Amino acid sequence: MTVLLSICVAVIFAVSVYLFTSRDLKSVAMGVFLFSHAAHLGIIAMSGQPLLTVSGETIRKAAPILGTSEAGLHVDPLPQALILTSIVISFAVTGFLLALLVAQHRRVQSMDVADLRDEDRPELPASIETVEMA
Amino acid sequence: MGTESWLTLALLAVFAPVVTGAATMLFPKRLITLRVGMALLGPVVAIVALLQQGVSEEVASLAFAPTLGLDLSFAADQLGMFFALLISGIGCLIVVYGRGYFGRDEKSLARFYPMLGLFMTAMMGIVLSDNLLGLFMFWELTSVSSFLLIGWNTQDRTSAKLAMQAFAVTGLGGLVMLAGLITLGVTSDIWSFSALEAAFDAGTFSLAAPMVTTAFALIFVGAMAKSAQWPLHFWLPGAMAAPTPVSAYLHSATMVKAGVYLLARLFPVMRELSWWTPALVFFGAITMVVGGYMAIRSEVLKKIFAYTTVSQLGLFVCAYGLGGLNYSHGSHGGEHGEAAHGAATAIGDPNIIYPITQILNHALYKAPLFILAGAIMHLTGRTVLGELKGLIKKHPVLAWTSLAAAYAMAGLPFTLSFTAKEAFLYQIVHGAQQHAVLWFVGAAAVFMALCNVAIFVRMARTFFAPAEAHDAHADEHHHAPERGFWGACIWWPAAALVMWQFVGGIAPGLFEGIIGVVETDTGNYWATLPGFFYAMTHPSMALGMSAVAIGLGVFLGFSPIWSGARKDIHDRLFPVTLRLGERAGHRLFATVQRGDLRLYVMVVLMALVSAMGYTFLLDKEAMLAWPEIPSINDVDYALAGWLLTGLICTSALMLPIMKSRVVRVLILGTCGFSVIGMYLLYQAPDLALTQVMFEIISVVLFLLALRLLPERGAGVRAYALPRVVFATLVGVSVGWITLHAGSAADQSALVAWDAAQGAPEQHAMAGETTDASILRVADETHSAGGRDARPTDARPTDAHPTDARPTDANSTEAHHAPFVQPDDTRLGGWMLRNSYVGTTPDTHGRGGGGNNVVNVILVDFRGYDTVGEITVLSIAMMGVLALIGACPAPLGLKERGPQKHLRSYMLRTAMKLLLPLSLLFAAYVFFKGHDRPGGGFIAGLIAAVGLAAYRMSDGGAALKRLIPIKPGITAAIGLALALATGVAPLVIHLFTGEGGPFFTSNNAYVPLIGGGTFHWTSVMLFDLGVFIVVVAVSVGMINRFEEELD
Repeated sequence: MTVLLSICVAVIFAVSVYLFTSRDLKSVAMGVFLFSHAAHLGIIAMSGQPLLTVSGETIRKAAPILGTSEAGLHVDPLPQALILTSIVISFAVTGFLLALLVAQHRRVQSMDVADLRDEDRPELPASIETVEMA
Repeated sequence: MGTESWLTLALLAVFAPVVTGAATMLFPKRLITLRVGMALLGPVVAIVALLQQGVSEEVASLAFAPTLGLDLSFAADQLGMFFALLISGIGCLIVVYGRGYFGRDEKSLARFYPMLGLFMTAMMGIVLSDNLLGLFMFWELTSVSSFLLIGWNTQDRTSAKLAMQAFAVTGLGGLVMLAGLITLGVTSDIWSFSALEAAFDAGTFSLAAPMVTTAFALIFVGAMAKSAQWPLHFWLPGAMAAPTPVSAYLHSATMVKAGVYLLARLFPVMRELSWWTPALVFFGAITMVVGGYMAIRSEVLKKIFAYTTVSQLGLFVCAYGLGGLNYSHGSHGGEHGEAAHGAATAIGDPNIIYPITQILNHALYKAPLFILAGAIMHLTGRTVLGELKGLIKKHPVLAWTSLAAAYAMAGLPFTLSFTAKEAFLYQIVHGAQQHAVLWFVGAAAVFMALCNVAIFVRMARTFFAPAEAHDAHADEHHHAPERGFWGACIWWPAAALVMWQFVGGIAPGLFEGIIGVVETDTGNYWATLPGFFYAMTHPSMALGMSAVAIGLGVFLGFSPIWSGARKDIHDRLFPVTLRLGERAGHRLFATVQRGDLRLYVMVVLMALVSAMGYTFLLDKEAMLAWPEIPSINDVDYALAGWLLTGLICTSALMLPIMKSRVVRVLILGTCGFSVIGMYLLYQAPDLALTQVMFEIISVVLFLLALRLLPERGAGVRAYALPRVVFATLVGVSVGWITLHAGSAADQSALVAWDAAQGAPEQHAMAGETTDASILRVADETHSAGGRDARPTDARPTDAHPTDARPTDANSTEAHHAPFVQPDDTRLGGWMLRNSYVGTTPDTHGRGGGGNNVVNVILVDFRGYDTVGEITVLSIAMMGVLALIGACPAPLGLKERGPQKHLRSYMLRTAMKLLLPLSLLFAAYVFFKGHDRPGGGFIAGLIAAVGLAAYRMSDGGAALKRLIPIKPGITAAIGLALALATGVAPLVIHLFTGEGGPFFTSNNAYVPLIGGGTFHWTSVMLFDLGVFIVVVAVSVGMINRFEEELD
């Protein structure tokens, strides 16, 4: 199972990096979205398999809900809690990112990454005059 | 007086000012007198509460976050009591003076009192806190509230800058101090002053450890910054930008004394530290000289007084240093003739003596000086001393009171100040007889005293000088003075304070009888100090120094030397540093931030790949070795795993190839749904549920947003090949890491299993103890329903999957203990064991009372994190609303032209049925969440999906009818509810003794009508908050995008 998950992580990661480096902002947004899947699968892979092989016999661990396991073996609940948090946060991030894209498009009428570069950089703030006593 | 009642009194004393201050906000603006009365009530209640308790070493504690060492604990020993009474006493007068100063300016008064109340509470918290981190909390609160007060004049840029300067200096100082406090706490596990002193007295606390020295050095910096010691003194004169009531309060009794207070608090321990006392003497002496010189070179009245405060603070710090030096030679205390008389007492217990002589003395003249400076400015519109000629005729009361206060400041005979100065000089002389270098301190003290005398002389000369005839608007009042009692409020608080200077100077016995309530064991203390009569009859070195200072001061006062204004070069320090920082930051920004997204991505990920490459070079063998992965003989799992992997990979790989945006979004969804399968395989039902809802909402969100964006992409395709190579490289690296980490986890699980096999006894014991605590909780929680009602009991008891389990595990299984491998030391294992019951039921470790461990972690174990998370959610939503609102669609650029809504009759009818169903399902998932898969997050997403569908079929107006509240407000309600559940246990603890620290949960089984039981938990309210936020955020976002499309 760990091998399978690693493959998934590698593929999703590669695809999202490919999308990150695209010039189209929509692709970038999709890349970000996909990226979260890779991260979640990676975390859950690192929490160990839901199976335990002892002397050739495979035992299934139960979900982290007390009372559901006959053997009293549960998978680690902590990574799951972290991922749950992360899923909800990535929803917020996705929404925010899409709003950014809409705002960006309306501002410069372009979906090109290169147009993100702000030509009129913020000027050096006017030097603060010496603090005067009131 | 019991600890419980002291806790109540202490909380009253600390929080009454902020509560009454906030309460004034509820009054209509016109009710001025009521407002003043309410604001006055705060410090008065504080004083009454303090006197009710009286001086005692008793510590009352309310656990707040015990695992962090943070408690709200209070103690009113002599030092704390003295400061607390000073703060609240002067606070009363400042409230009254505020009314006189602002007159009938309703707006200012409405703003002033809440801020003042907050500040007062912060100060009371500092001086009464016994807990180190509690002190820090209040410490930073003073920085924040003083920032608000100093930056009072929000229209004035200078005022804002000065407020920032004060905040930067004291706030950063506070952070340095925090580092010190944490270092101290972590290395010695001491989190309170009482524990520190006890450990020190018992000899278990060693000052020799290098970490302890570091800790105290850091704390030292914090105290120095707060108490405006050179070279960090420059913020204090800047703080004059505040309205005068504030500066009077800041300078005389509060803010700047906080640092001195901390030095006093640490004094009994720190005086043993070799560098502590010389450092105090050194910085104190320099500050005295700098402050004195700058005071005489200033012309603005408030500024003069501000610099005299600086020099006086130098004196305080110096006095503590001297006290430490003298203390270490304390055995010689009685041998130095006349000096011994006053100083010997001081040596005995410097902790009590210094505050009362020096600090009280300072408050008694400095507050009046500021109060009067404000009054003069208010009535004449003048701020510069030179322009106040003839004041004695025009405003005799103000002028005479000011002169009386300045007389006291100069330390002239018949004042308390004279006594205080004499005592200080005795101290110097006494110390200098052993360390000759201290004569320099004596010189500094004389210099400072002569500056003060010169200031007094110059003030008197100006006031008595005839008014200049050509001064046209001399008789015009800046403000029409108010008549009657309220008008007099602008000066009588000053008179009330300065009076004590003379009472104390002339009749120390009387003074002691009235003011000396806080000292309990020094006897007739004031009479033992070197008052004027005593000093005259016992001529000494100190008296000589005094005389020299007075003589030179009078000379300087009449001479034109040092009469022009001069700028404090330190004033430039902060702006210059700030500007340099800004410049450097800007340069760095321009170099690093090139504005190319792809470059950033490349750099970050290349760093990852090269880190991998580096470890590869270090250990080729280990990096290349295929990790040992236990074989799996479960065909079902393997088959499902392969299938899902295929789905996930295929859909991911198709994404870049596809062109149509709708197809791409659907592929994204496919990938996400396959991931759900993976979660199920990995025994994560909560994740699967969340992911389903998340996937639906996200796809909807994507489709909505894409309709607002153009169909065509950038047009130019970036070169594909290098991207593919790069992406593959990164993907393989991360995959490889995952593989190794995952297999390591599997290995450790096996090791733990083997260990469990090897130690059956321990295994059984762990089972029994957990079992016992279950029973106890069960007895407490549902006596009526009996154990049958507990959902955990539905577990099958017999079937044993493998013979590998030890046979005596029966005892564990039979009672359904939430069992995991006993030596599973991972955090997750601990959470599994404690999710239902706690390890120690009698304290706060009762456990969450839930069977769904993931949910218990989210709402209970890590509840505070979850608060942070829903805050992020709310912020993201506000960001979406603001971003789209700020960039309205340009006319004629409607992406697709207006599109009609789905007005399908079928759909609308269906939604009428589906929406209640989805809400019902959400409610079910919500209530079940603590014991079965579900909870606030999932329920929120389910409800949001239903509402979003409703919005699509019936339009925004229908949704608005359904939920008339704005999403921002809804989210705020949810957040407030979640936080309230956190604070509730503290409040409950206060009134009933139950409850506990921040975010303590409670749960019980409530019998229902009809025989069942309902599992009540307090975290349910928390979860409700989460639910509300999630619904508000999801629906708010989707609604906003849809509104754009309409």
